[in-house]
Amino acid sequence: MPRERETILLEQDPVPRPPPAAASESEEGRLGRLGVSLLVFSIVTGLVTHGWNLFKYPLYLSDEGIYMQQAWSVLRHGKLSPYTYFYDHAPLGWLTIAGWVAVIPGQFNSFGFPVNVGRALMVLVHAGCVFLLFEVVRRYSGSRAAATLAAFLFNVSPLAVYFQRMVLLDNLMVFWVLVGLYILARKDGRIVTAMGAGLAFGFALITKENAAFLLPGFGYLLHRSIVDNSNRRFSASFWWFAAGAPVSLYMLYAQIKNELLPANLDFNLASPPADHVSLLYTIWWQLNRTASGGQGTMFSTLLHDSWMWKDKYILITGTAATIANLVLSLNARRREVPMLGVGLLAIGYGFYLTRSVLLDFYVAPLVPLLALNIGLCYGRITRYGKPIAVALLTAIVCALPLSQPHGYLVAWDSTGTRLLLADQYRLPQTNMQNLQVKWIRENIPPDARLIIDDDIWVALREGTPKYPNAQSHFKAASDPDVRDKIFHQDWHNVDYVVMSNKMRDALQRNNEGWIMEAIDQHGEQVWRIDRGDVHLEIIKINNTG
Amino acid sequence: MEHILLAAIALVSLMLTIQAAHVLYLMIYTWDQPAADTLARVPDVRAGPQLSFTAIVPARHEEEVIQQTIDRVARTDYPARLVQIIVVCSADDTGTIERAAATISRLNAAGRDNVQLVVFSDEPINKPHGLNAALVHSQADVVTIFDAEDEIHPEIFSIVNTIMVTERVHVVQAGVQLMNYESNWYSTFNVLEYFFWFRSRLHYQAKAGAIPLGGNTIFFARDLLERIGGWDEKCLTEDADIGLRVCAMGERVRVVYDHRYVTKEETPPTLTHFIKQRTRWSQGFMQTLKKGTWKELPTRKQRWLAWYTLAFPYAQALLGLYLPVAVLTAFVLRAPVPVALLSWLPVLLLAAHFVTQVIGLYEFTEAHGLRATPRTVIVMAVGWMPYQMVLAYAAMRALKRQLGGVGDWEKTAHVGAHRTAEAEEVTSRAA
Repeated sequence: MPRERETILLEQDPVPRPPPAAASESEEGRLGRLGVSLLVFSIVTGLVTHGWNLFKYPLYLSDEGIYMQQAWSVLRHGKLSPYTYFYDHAPLGWLTIAGWVAVIPGQFNSFGFPVNVGRALMVLVHAGCVFLLFEVVRRYSGSRAAATLAAFLFNVSPLAVYFQRMVLLDNLMVFWVLVGLYILARKDGRIVTAMGAGLAFGFALITKENAAFLLPGFGYLLHRSIVDNSNRRFSASFWWFAAGAPVSLYMLYAQIKNELLPANLDFNLASPPADHVSLLYTIWWQLNRTASGGQGTMFSTLLHDSWMWKDKYILITGTAATIANLVLSLNARRREVPMLGVGLLAIGYGFYLTRSVLLDFYVAPLVPLLALNIGLCYGRITRYGKPIAVALLTAIVCALPLSQPHGYLVAWDSTGTRLLLADQYRLPQTNMQNLQVKWIRENIPPDARLIIDDDIWVALREGTPKYPNAQSHFKAASDPDVRDKIFHQDWHNVDYVVMSNKMRDALQRNNEGWIMEAIDQHGEQVWRIDRGDVHLEIIKINNTG
Repeated sequence: MEHILLAAIALVSLMLTIQAAHVLYLMIYTWDQPAADTLARVPDVRAGPQLSFTAIVPARHEEEVIQQTIDRVARTDYPARLVQIIVVCSADDTGTIERAAATISRLNAAGRDNVQLVVFSDEPINKPHGLNAALVHSQADVVTIFDAEDEIHPEIFSIVNTIMVTERVHVVQAGVQLMNYESNWYSTFNVLEYFFWFRSRLHYQAKAGAIPLGGNTIFFARDLLERIGGWDEKCLTEDADIGLRVCAMGERVRVVYDHRYVTKEETPPTLTHFIKQRTRWSQGFMQTLKKGTWKELPTRKQRWLAWYTLAFPYAQALLGLYLPVAVLTAFVLRAPVPVALLSWLPVLLLAAHFVTQVIGLYEFTEAHGLRATPRTVIVMAVGWMPYQMVLAYAAMRALKRQLGGVGDWEKTAHVGAHRTAEAEEVTSRAA
């Protein structure tokens, strides 16, 4: 059969060209050499501000001790908690800590007091967060100056330094949230990108459940990033699927242990299940906790007594920036998608803080969210400024808080006459807890039955000698396995009560009556240390007479 | 003993998870890669007719549909002098021969002399033998195959002519699509399998250089076919086999899927036929794997992908056995927590596959101007596990036949369920 000779071949490339790449980023939007320098500067600044005096300030918190204790249990006993795990939090956070401790040669004793290993991880996590925050702001605002400012505030805010040094699930949760935002901000139109962002959000959820309050902001950013793509159905579905997968594994874990549902499906809050714990019951209980009950404090109290005192600047500026972002973006939603998205993130978390039973450290995730808002707002305001002017303005804005004697870098001493380095870079608060443990080791036999706070729990299990009979006071009062099977709620079965700072308040708040009775009616103070408003004690219980 | 069992469950779970995740990625490949998606489309600008085509139509017991098919191929939008049509039947299939001969006579009477009938009487009686019998009569630049039930697009020759001329490729696989997605409970899944296979996965396999080709709407340069000696008559999936042989020669295979120009087909009419068809495919892959063509591929990555694709029926058989174990492990057996969690991962991935299928349904119906209804999704949800079990059963059946040395051809029946009156009318107008 003949070929058709007379036809004309259209002029085309032999190989079809791939579609043009997404519009290249603007000069300002690209990271570039200057951007790399600013990013490195930001990370190093974060390592210094968060790492300097890390092991000495602030005081080890009970919650830090709890997460270290649970990581210890994972490594030493292959269990999620040394006590009855009642699904108060999902476990990814302390599994991460356990993984970190496992790869450190000296494990829990690598940096002295065991909580320090966790704190070292927190500093690395912070450095990671700085990288992510910087890049998220830069990608969304197109401004390296805005990214630098956001990262700088995140690094030096005393509120951030105070809480982000602590071994808290919230800090690990923030990391995953920022990973999710960082992936979303790639805007490459791929399904795996949406999926990666979803998976990160799922990890955030099983690190600390309060990430759920970031869903509106996250969801909006996701929606806007995929709505115009032809693969939006896949992207949206895979985001949800990836976010739900870790949560489903957590639920399955509970089911495998037969601890998903309460016995007889009884969700009555007035009669907690006595025989076995239940994930869904705990979630129901937490949803129904009100600010007037439980061990938490009201939002307004913490705001005035703690958070504003630590750093009012970032709280006020961040709130103002969030409001400005919402106002500016609601006028131009299409163009200002990221501003509305990060505004919703901060609003969502703020809603949680005002509605929930609070602990002091619950504010920790708010700081990077406010920094995000400040960064994007600043990027919007300076969008049309000359680069040199913006750079100069950014340098001045960064220098301002440092020069003020209100705790960013320096603060007045107690007499108000001398400028000193701020507390977080100077005070050796944890020395007191080290002294307390030292005294125990030198004066109390290892087989003694101790009631302690969680901050020194791992120290007494891992050091030399070990104290296998030291139990958390929370568990001695509330966990039937400890309260009824070890101590039998009887002061005769206790040799010492080791009091952390403000532990007496906790004993009263939680109605730990039999322990109070042991201290007040049969106890004798054998060691005490007071420094400022921090007071530690050791009470010997006279149970032999 | 218990430890060995648990270790086996953990290992199988892990392998199935990785495998399922990879398959999932291949299913969404072109949606995930915007560049691949663009490349998959048919070029908007067409080259003038330059290449000549031989369209082979292998038919066996296709009395019901053969006449329409011949008419369709004869009435494409391409110069008749550049198209040669060969209908090929075995001598014992008198019914099909009679119908085909009648149509050819009618066309001859209308002045179309480019259609011929080739009858072979030697063994084996199967598709690859028929194709080889027809190949020796081919005189054109390009050889293609259309199955008897195919509803081809009138512009298909023009499209392939453009691609082959402008991109200088010698093998083009164009899209094939089952259409009757609401005929019965398994047809939706079957339709979507084709959708994901031709719309996405084949593009990945072509790019990687290890592609099991489809059975029709595949276009080869004739000299290439002659050089590789035609189709393997002993293989139940001669299409997959020839694809790998072509890749082993270093030929680039171009895949194109544009919903406007796909070749439309139907799902097997009954579950029994469906299982037979699936058994044949699974066993064909097993045969091709055993034959070892994949070992001739030049790079390790190509060999790995080919091996992995051909070994899939084994994984499918395993999955059928595994699913009840996974559910039992998670909910009934007291396996250690990490093992139980690990055994859950493939189930999770299976759920992801289901989600993907549902989205695929909406993508498919939207592309073809159809409408997906929640009812179909509910039927899918109910039929999902049974469908997996049917696939697993077919894979196990194939395994049994393969181990037992049974290699005969179980043919799929066609009733023309995909041919709607409306579609016929459109085609007539186009002709």
